[in-house]
Amino acid sequence: MANVLDLRRRIRSVKNTRQITKAMKMVSAAKLRRAQERALSARPYARMITSVLQSLTGRIEIFDPETGNLRHPLFATRPEKRVLLIIVSGDKGFAGAFNSNILKTAFQFIETNPDKEIDVEAVGRKGRDLMRRRYKAAEYVEETDEHGQTRQVRAERKGRVEVSGDHPGMLLKLETARVFKLAESVIARYVHEEIDAAYIVYNEFKSVIQQRLVVERLLPLIEIGSQQVAAAVEPTEEERERAGEAAISAGIALEPADTQEADEEARRFGTAQVDYIYEQPARELFNGLLPQYVSSMLYHAMTESVAAEHAARMTAMDSASNNASDMIDAYTLQMNRARQAAITKEIIEIVSGAAAV
Amino acid sequence: MADETNQLRVRLVTPERVLFEAAASAVELPAKNGYMEVLFGHAPLMAELGAGDVIVHGAGVAETDGVAGAQHYNVSWGFAEVLPDRVTILASDALKPEEIGVDRAEEQLVRGQKMWSEAGESEEAYTEALHVIAEAEAKLATAAEKH
Repeated sequence: MANVLDLRRRIRSVKNTRQITKAMKMVSAAKLRRAQERALSARPYARMITSVLQSLTGRIEIFDPETGNLRHPLFATRPEKRVLLIIVSGDKGFAGAFNSNILKTAFQFIETNPDKEIDVEAVGRKGRDLMRRRYKAAEYVEETDEHGQTRQVRAERKGRVEVSGDHPGMLLKLETARVFKLAESVIARYVHEEIDAAYIVYNEFKSVIQQRLVVERLLPLIEIGSQQVAAAVEPTEEERERAGEAAISAGIALEPADTQEADEEARRFGTAQVDYIYEQPARELFNGLLPQYVSSMLYHAMTESVAAEHAARMTAMDSASNNASDMIDAYTLQMNRARQAAITKEIIEIVSGAAAV
Repeated sequence: MADETNQLRVRLVTPERVLFEAAASAVELPAKNGYMEVLFGHAPLMAELGAGDVIVHGAGVAETDGVAGAQHYNVSWGFAEVLPDRVTILASDALKPEEIGVDRAEEQLVRGQKMWSEAGESEEAYTEALHVIAEAEAKLATAAEKH
């Protein structure tokens, strides 16, 4: 049996670990709260963009009546040969199975589409690291066209799946300007027919107990305002319960904040049943709004993923703290037993010594 | 629809947050092809915004900025919906004048001018450069007005 001193040392070490995990849990809880607030304050804009686009699609034809062509290339559907997959993972570890679940879903998507060429765009450091290790980076060569202008052209593929770009640190300080740049690049690739569809894998987060992993189609736009989910993974009942417990102990509300009134208000944007005067032709407005819409979808996915990451870390750290407490209890019991055994042994020695005299 | 106050409900929304929400008597908007002022009872209108100042006149009593109750916000690109009693501004980016970094705006201007001179024949690059320049100039103008 281990001696008392050793056990005492062990207990002290576990106690220190528990201090750290507890602190990390509280930090994650605070960050989660902030992330939730940010997701909430981004909602009105996203809703308004969606509703004004919906109302505009009702007013102008998507197809040009004269030529029969599409008004905007983002509505064009093509057979999916080349697909862009945006993977939103976390920047740091210590978040339980958060990152590995996202990557698992991403790999599943890649495996279930063996006949498609896939470009991977990684947002978040964890996802980037793994994707880079597994797949080759896309290469570009410069080419000069007949007008003497150079442009970047995709070099020949080295594999079915290639990493076309990554955005480390984007989630650390989420800025709409950067997200908009990414949206613009995705749109440009779609318009130039470099890709035939764009999907995004992320962790959807309505509240601590209402979240799931989704693969959502970003492009082509088929119907504005409806989520096009290609695949979804719901958390198990047990996971949900654990997350709920952790949230309660950190003082985080389980239910999403009630925003119905604000949502209703936002949904009315641009949809009044009157004839608007359009400063610019409706088509021009439409073309200006579409990139904003795609960008707001991306931004929405990222804010939710950030919130989910903090929630996952909070849950993981709560479990770690609980485990540390259990361990301390077990060791304390063991230590007391050892101490008692030592005392008993000494008394027996004294008594039997005295008896021998 | 007409209430006695003749006040517009003005909201300024950016992708990140709702920056401003209050009743006001008039709003000036930087539409893409020129400034316009909206008063109570304006005909319904949708407009694309350029870069410039949104000026809210006679907004809420509590928050009166120095310039006779007018509040300035620098916005760049976006959309606005005008209804007789309501104005909603969806801006891609919006700043209060005190949030504008003059150094950063100047940097942006230099960058835009560089892009402009390097644009060559490409129309896309040219338009983008003009965008950057317009945004920077609008920011500098707002900041200069403040001081």
